[in-house]
Amino acid sequence: QLIPPLSRSPSPMRGPLLAAAGAAMGGTGGPLARAIRAKLTAALQPTHLEVRDDSPRHGGPPGAETHFGVLVVSGRFAGLSPLQRHRLVHEALRAELAGPLHALQVTARTPEQWQSDPQNPPAPPCLGGSKREKRRG
Amino acid sequence: MRAAVRAAWRIGTGAALRGRAGCPLSQAAGNGGGAESGGGGGSGSREAVERLVREHPVVVFMKGSPAQPLCGFSNAVVQILRLHGVEDYRAHDVLQDPDLRQGIKNYSNWPTIPQVYLNGEFVGGCDILLQMHQNGDLVEELKKLGIRSALLDAEKDQEKK
Repeated sequence: QLIPPLSRSPSPMRGPLLAAAGAAMGGTGGPLARAIRAKLTAALQPTHLEVRDDSPRHGGPPGAETHFGVLVVSGRFAGLSPLQRHRLVHEALRAELAGPLHALQVTARTPEQWQSDPQNPPAPPCLGGSKREKRRG
Repeated sequence: MRAAVRAAWRIGTGAALRGRAGCPLSQAAGNGGGAESGGGGGSGSREAVERLVREHPVVVFMKGSPAQPLCGFSNAVVQILRLHGVEDYRAHDVLQDPDLRQGIKNYSNWPTIPQVYLNGEFVGGCDILLQMHQNGDLVEELKKLGIRSALLDAEKDQEKK
């Protein structure tokens, strides 16, 4: 074979190649996207879940995984105010939000709401904020 | 720092008593001289944040300023308030103050900026404000604060036509 199969490529190349392959296939996304998906699934048992990496729209390189948008449809949200729903989502992603996850847009609907209005609003356009941060001491 | 305080006393007790930015001297002293950032207590302390959120019926913690937002989510908050004719509110740029940036997140137990406070109470971020705008809740909440949303007048104009 002239080109070794992916599974036998040297490990330093494996991550970016897999990420690129995943992105090309419109697939699972990078490690943070997968972690977000896994944690939201475990915490909220959503009937519908979309995890969107908005990082490229905020000046980050592809695969930066800093800004995400999530659409979570779950019966767990019934009877909860928007604030309470968002807090549930934040709780599930506490570790990520304390770490690399810099921004998180949240759309939280009950299955009934989602059925009557299946819309996921896009994130607003970036205005360069993270590049204008002061250095933290 | 002590030299500056002594100089201030020499300039005139009036100015010295007002301290920095119009705050009473006792408050500035309590913050460890006022001019230091990140001092004990400091701008991110629970007390300091509490004072800020109670300053005005509408208080926003954002990135940048209403005149020049530096973040799309912060800009969305500014634009929504503008749509409702709310131009008189307190906006705090957390990019200028790392202590406040962390302090406001601790205070509300909310991990992101922007943060909107109505009548001293945390209401949510950009997503929630947008939702409130879309479902009419924001008009109602502003009414409770004695603020008449400009959108009510816009509706009236439309009805006349």
